[in-house]
Amino acid sequence: MPGAPVESVLRVPLFSELNEEEAQQVASLFKQRRFKPGETVAREGSGGAAFFLIEAGEAVVTVAGQERRRLGPGDSFGEIALIDEGARSATITAASELRCYGLTYWDFRPLVQGNAEISWKLLQSVVGRLRDEQAAGR
Amino acid sequence: MNGVVPLAEARDDAIFGSKAVGLGEAARGGLPLPPGIALAGDVVEAVASGEEDAIEQVIGAARSLAVPLAVRSSAVDEDGADASFAGQHLTLLNVPSVDVLDDAVRDIWWSANSDSAITYRQKVGLFHRPSVGVVVQSLLDPETAGVMFTRNPMTGAEERMIEASWGLGEAVVAGQVIPDGFRIAPSGEVLERRPGYKKIAIRSLPEGGTFEEQVAAERVEALCLGDRELAALNRLASRCEEVYGPARDIEFAFAGGELYLLQCRAVTRF
Repeated sequence: MPGAPVESVLRVPLFSELNEEEAQQVASLFKQRRFKPGETVAREGSGGAAFFLIEAGEAVVTVAGQERRRLGPGDSFGEIALIDEGARSATITAASELRCYGLTYWDFRPLVQGNAEISWKLLQSVVGRLRDEQAAGR
Repeated sequence: MNGVVPLAEARDDAIFGSKAVGLGEAARGGLPLPPGIALAGDVVEAVASGEEDAIEQVIGAARSLAVPLAVRSSAVDEDGADASFAGQHLTLLNVPSVDVLDDAVRDIWWSANSDSAITYRQKVGLFHRPSVGVVVQSLLDPETAGVMFTRNPMTGAEERMIEASWGLGEAVVAGQVIPDGFRIAPSGEVLERRPGYKKIAIRSLPEGGTFEEQVAAERVEALCLGDRELAALNRLASRCEEVYGPARDIEFAFAGGELYLLQCRAVTRF
């Protein structure tokens, strides 16, 4: 079955409000992508246009050259780029053979634009995070 | 419309991309190409999406090609912007088996959808999704390879300008060697032979990818093309100009003693 596993998609905060059927629609848009050890997955400051879910392997997150954390299977990055295509806030480098599921802005946008229910739930998810940030005083 | 065709049947830029159609024109014109197939943009999309039917169709068609394979992107024309996209897309040399061709096609799809490709598209005002075709050809194991202008790109003079080196042509294209230089008049008279300094040759690895082979000391400054090869290149230049029009930028290789055309583009003057 092409696409990413639905359960992995539902664990992503942005998609956590979706029901199973809606999550399946999003999951079907993902394509597999592999990176070699040491390969740059995303570069801090450069434009971003895809969101990635890690299927297998490990990646390192660095900001201004400093390692911040490591990502493994089930982790994801780049969800904001799906909506605003803005610059990457960190550099992600494959620390091992890395297998991901990737979703591009081009594939995601038509689904959201054509489905008001999904759009509303994504908006709720984004606003929920904003509220959490405010409550944390950031 | 079949989205997986022999190169000679790739005719529509909007379906197969400009590289595939350029090679299709060469095949129809009887130019000596390594055997290959062209994949339409929607087939590439389906293979990248993991659709089994599309993967089986592509792998089935590629089984007729001798391995290893060279897999190249063929940008589907976007307002004539293809040349600018050359650096955004990918060539995978030496894919060792047709059974991993779907991975190679997926890598090509992602190269057209990478952060750098998308950023570039935004910069030049292209806000629709990219479409990319793919060319799959048998990868040659050449004795020598290089590039040729059918006319002097600086002066427009009617002379063939050739640069060549040992092994795969990537050593010349990527500037990893000082290649041998040759100039030939359209009559076939050799006007200049200038030995280069060719310490490495790029070769294929059996398990995929390429490596840099050290060239034997006596061959570093020895000319890699002789009279027979230069005469064949002059004939190829004439034939390419007949098929495509004047002033061509050609990539070529000699394998098993035979001359092959790898790519033929219009000359870009600087």
